[in-house]
Amino acid sequence: MQGKNNTPLKNRFALKDITRISGFSAFSSALIAIVLGLIFGFIVMLFAQPENAIKGFRYVLVGGLGRFGSVLYFATPILMTGLAVGFAFKMGLFNIGASGQYTMGMFFALYVGFMWDLPPGIHWIVAILAGMLGGMIWGFIPGIFKALLNVNEVITSIMFNYIGMYLVDMWIQGNAVMFVSTKSRTNYLPSNVQIPSLGIDGSNVNLGILLAIIIGIVLYIVLQKTTFGYELKATGHNKYASDYAGMKGKKNIILTMVIAGGLAGLGGAFAILEPSAIAGSSMTYETINIIAANGFNGIAVALLGSAHPLGIIFSSVFISHIQRGGSLAGLVGFKPEIIDVVIGVIIYFSAFAMIMSTALARFVKRHITHKDEKDNKAEQEAIEAKEAE
Amino acid sequence: MENYIVEMLGITKEFPGIIANDNITLNLKKGEVHALLGENGAGKSTLMSVLFGLYQAEKGEIRKNGQVVKINNPNDANALGIGMVHQHFKLVEIFTVLENIILGVEPNTMGFLEKNEARKKVVELSEKYGLSIKPDALIEDISVGMQQRVEILKMLYRENEILIFDEPTAVLTPQEIKELLGIMRGFANEGKSILFITHKLNEIMDVADRCTVLRKGKYIGTVDVKTTNKEELSRMMVGRDISFSVDKKPAEPKEVVLSVKNVTVASKHHKNNAVRNVTFDVRAGEIVCLAGIDGNGQTEFVSALTGLDKMVEGSVTLCGKDISKASVRERSVSGMSHIPEDRHKHGLVLDYTLEENMVLQRYWQPEFQNKGFLKFDAIRKYAENLIERFDVRSGQGPITVVRSMSGGNQQKAIIAREIDKNHELLVAVQPTRGLDVGAIEYIHKQLVERRDAGKGVLLVSLELEEVMNVSDRILVMYEGEIVGELDPKTTNVQELGLYMSGAKRNTVKEIDNAG
Amino acid sequence: MSTFYYLIQNMLPVAIPLLLVALGGMFSERSGVVNIALEGIMLFGAFFGALFVYTFQGVDMNPQVLLLLGMLIAAVSGWIYSLLLSFAAVTMKADQTITGVSLNMMIPAAILLFSKMFFNSDGITTTKNFYIREVPVLSNIPILGEMFFQRTYLTVMIGFVLLIISIIIFYKTRFGLRLRACGEHPQAADSVGINVYFMRYAGVSLSGILGGIGGFFYSVGVLDGNVSGHTGVAGFGFLALAVMIFGQWKPGKIFFAALFFAFLRTLAYSVSLIPFLDGLGIDQTYYKMLPYVATMVVLAFTSKKSRAPKAEGIPYDKSQR
Repeated sequence: MQGKNNTPLKNRFALKDITRISGFSAFSSALIAIVLGLIFGFIVMLFAQPENAIKGFRYVLVGGLGRFGSVLYFATPILMTGLAVGFAFKMGLFNIGASGQYTMGMFFALYVGFMWDLPPGIHWIVAILAGMLGGMIWGFIPGIFKALLNVNEVITSIMFNYIGMYLVDMWIQGNAVMFVSTKSRTNYLPSNVQIPSLGIDGSNVNLGILLAIIIGIVLYIVLQKTTFGYELKATGHNKYASDYAGMKGKKNIILTMVIAGGLAGLGGAFAILEPSAIAGSSMTYETINIIAANGFNGIAVALLGSAHPLGIIFSSVFISHIQRGGSLAGLVGFKPEIIDVVIGVIIYFSAFAMIMSTALARFVKRHITHKDEKDNKAEQEAIEAKEAE
Repeated sequence: MENYIVEMLGITKEFPGIIANDNITLNLKKGEVHALLGENGAGKSTLMSVLFGLYQAEKGEIRKNGQVVKINNPNDANALGIGMVHQHFKLVEIFTVLENIILGVEPNTMGFLEKNEARKKVVELSEKYGLSIKPDALIEDISVGMQQRVEILKMLYRENEILIFDEPTAVLTPQEIKELLGIMRGFANEGKSILFITHKLNEIMDVADRCTVLRKGKYIGTVDVKTTNKEELSRMMVGRDISFSVDKKPAEPKEVVLSVKNVTVASKHHKNNAVRNVTFDVRAGEIVCLAGIDGNGQTEFVSALTGLDKMVEGSVTLCGKDISKASVRERSVSGMSHIPEDRHKHGLVLDYTLEENMVLQRYWQPEFQNKGFLKFDAIRKYAENLIERFDVRSGQGPITVVRSMSGGNQQKAIIAREIDKNHELLVAVQPTRGLDVGAIEYIHKQLVERRDAGKGVLLVSLELEEVMNVSDRILVMYEGEIVGELDPKTTNVQELGLYMSGAKRNTVKEIDNAG
Repeated sequence: MSTFYYLIQNMLPVAIPLLLVALGGMFSERSGVVNIALEGIMLFGAFFGALFVYTFQGVDMNPQVLLLLGMLIAAVSGWIYSLLLSFAAVTMKADQTITGVSLNMMIPAAILLFSKMFFNSDGITTTKNFYIREVPVLSNIPILGEMFFQRTYLTVMIGFVLLIISIIIFYKTRFGLRLRACGEHPQAADSVGINVYFMRYAGVSLSGILGGIGGFFYSVGVLDGNVSGHTGVAGFGFLALAVMIFGQWKPGKIFFAALFFAFLRTLAYSVSLIPFLDGLGIDQTYYKMLPYVATMVVLAFTSKKSRAPKAEGIPYDKSQR
């Protein structure tokens, strides 16, 4: 009798458990947001060019698959800015300043690349580290403002995005070695400052993506396994309890912002030091008074990955994937900006997708398991009776 | 058949996971003071929120003067003449008294406010009922007592005839309580009907005509106050006999554990200091109680004592060591354990698991970490041990997310953590707030046990009964100062009340000299 | 002295958008909703205002009438866009900051997309001139006439009118009282029968209307009627947030804060006209950074005293009292 009942009982519980755990709800809510964002994109495409909409949308969905190398290549910087935003999220800080930190990282890396004379083997490494330092400095300042003066980090970060952008534009324009004034962009970097390529299918994918993934995994370990991660998450969940437990809240705020800044700075360095397929060229920085978009894309990446370092690795690849697809959709006459709109829509929905996903989970529970409701109830009562004993 | 002004019949209200009201019936006569008695969590406030339109019941009906009515929101309630003074005042702090009174029923022409007309009416009402207020003062600047008068005037301004008071006496001094009960009686004599939520038996005996008792969401019965007594009421409330006193031996105070000298703490709300020149000692083996009405500097004092806030002046010595400038962590290591006032705000990380919360004060010690990496096995073992010893109940043991636990078990977890950690002094701030009688008894027992184990206990409490029963020595705090030291064996509630309201004072120093 | 008049005349068209958008932010935040989407709302309003002007600039019409109509279009479009924020923040109880960020991100891309598709450019360029050399009669008032009614835009005068209307709504009406209650203590408001959700929708909607108008006025007074998806409104929405905080969420103080920031910005772009500053030989970029740096300095000094609406940023949930 008991053996007979056992199997369906277990299955039922397994389903219920899946709908309850947070990992599932984070994943399903990300999925909901993505689907809604893509639907929106498709509708826009339908309005723009009905005859090509399906073709273009197919490019968006699967176009990236054929160019996985370049998907990874473009995923590298937004993976880093995503980590920069997500890591700060864990502490309850909204690092909207990843853009400025990213730009600073670019500048520091460029400066070392152009102005320092170092042996080829280590030049790019030093340039990367310099980029990290630049980002750290630009994360440190909002950290100080937040910790010591209690100024909201959102406002500070936004202001420092602008200040950083103006400063970097000015510094580059004022440097004859770095700046090509006729093209209002930086010069090409010597190839020994560029990050070694991985040599996959003719794309520029390079060591940067591997480093970025390793950094993501290290962050995961820091958050899950260390006392620092314990303190960080405790502070993010409940700042007052962390004070009560004697954690150094101010120090942790500054440290978190410095680390987040460093991550975004690394993103900037990876982006600007990326190798070029065309000999003698490289990535360049344009001094056109515009905030770096990759910082904001990092917010999308972090939200989609629910601020979880491993989740962020996947979401960065996904965002890069649809961005590549968006460029390919240009082949049939669509503008790539459509993907930026889609990403905006995805963030919008992911802000409340959690609620939708809970509703969905409840729906699943009610409609898929309802036929067992009666057994369930009896079971529940039996368990409760047992507990009461 | 009797004529009732309000009938609530078969009211059932569920929240996810609990049935707050299970088929409850309550009948209110015109012109009576009707008490609603029950423990914390018995469902009193929920029932009144249903009557006031804040919640909608799943089952049951409400009648006014025999007619079935639907109350979907406070506007409906107001239209039926039902008003409510909430336990936590619903006042906008940056608004004036007048603005708060008229909010929602503002006199206006074409949407423009007509404050003068309102002011006249408010002043008339306050004079008629002896509810003195300052119409143009900001709520954040006036006393709690005056805030309550504002809440009462809100009902009178709306010409409500059914007045609900949700635990109105919790924030008042005994003298203010007496005054309030008098005002309630006056309303009833004038023909208004009063619903009075409380868990204090004395107040019911003093003022109520009839009393309805709830327990764990269920209706227990309605009794005529004249024909009953406190013992019967308490039996109805908790379902068994309870002892009002705490079982304990006389204290045997030994060496001084905590010495506080001239401590002054700034206020976050106003320019004056919240705590002024506080001096006292706590010895090993005694429970010292810091008593007082809420908001007289206790919270600020505890913040400074535990290192969460800085003091302006003064010194704190723990076991002979000056910790005046020590950090929270250093104080904790030096032997201070702290059961915080607000367990959700300070005491727990609600989204962490039970085991993670159990090591909140100790995760950094070599026992639980190695070179910055947490030892998860050791944490699990430690948590399981505490859970068993302190009987902390939860759904999944150490991996239960604390948010899902009941308040009593959350508090038990904190107590387990703070007691098991090395300590010479236990600072317990309102450790029984919001708990049911069983949990309260348990916690009182633990406090006495600490004392008998030779630790010093500083208990901060607002509950008179707790102050009188648990402590060995009472210090009364009023407006940031210690205004008196009392012996619970020789004093009584009336005297305590006089000190708490600032009407009477002696100084601790004099007693020290005399002793 | 002429430099002084020049600065005032150039400062006001900058100050008015800041003022209006900050007032919008105030209505939203005092109702309890953090509105970081002001940047996007401004751009949205500016774009549709400009699109309207672009469409009708060939019609023979008094430019000031066209401006007024464009303002209405901008107000309506700002309001519609703000509904996305109210829906997410009030109805869906989403995180208000994240929602705001997403609304800011969508718009520049959408404008680029639209403009590339239909105009083959990065934005809209209009040719209508809204500049007013002098207002008849009023411009002859000594001193004031030269400051406010010469070489100006209609936007400045409308801005002052909207400021006064905002102050009256905020302090003198039943609506204003209820709105402020919702941002401070929504439970209290609910308990006296005020519909908190409705008031929050109203607050955000006002910020959409004022934000849309502010954006359009920015494009008229600062960008000469042009809008681009690349440069957008150059962080003016964010500056307006800073103005609002500096102004302590109160309309009168916000007015002075807006003047202060606009003055700094005008100064930054007029360095070459002021012999003293020009003589210092400081890179003009430093002056461009000045408003942002000033924001940080101001916030650093005022943050300890500033008192944000208490319930701001917290979704109101009826079942959690």
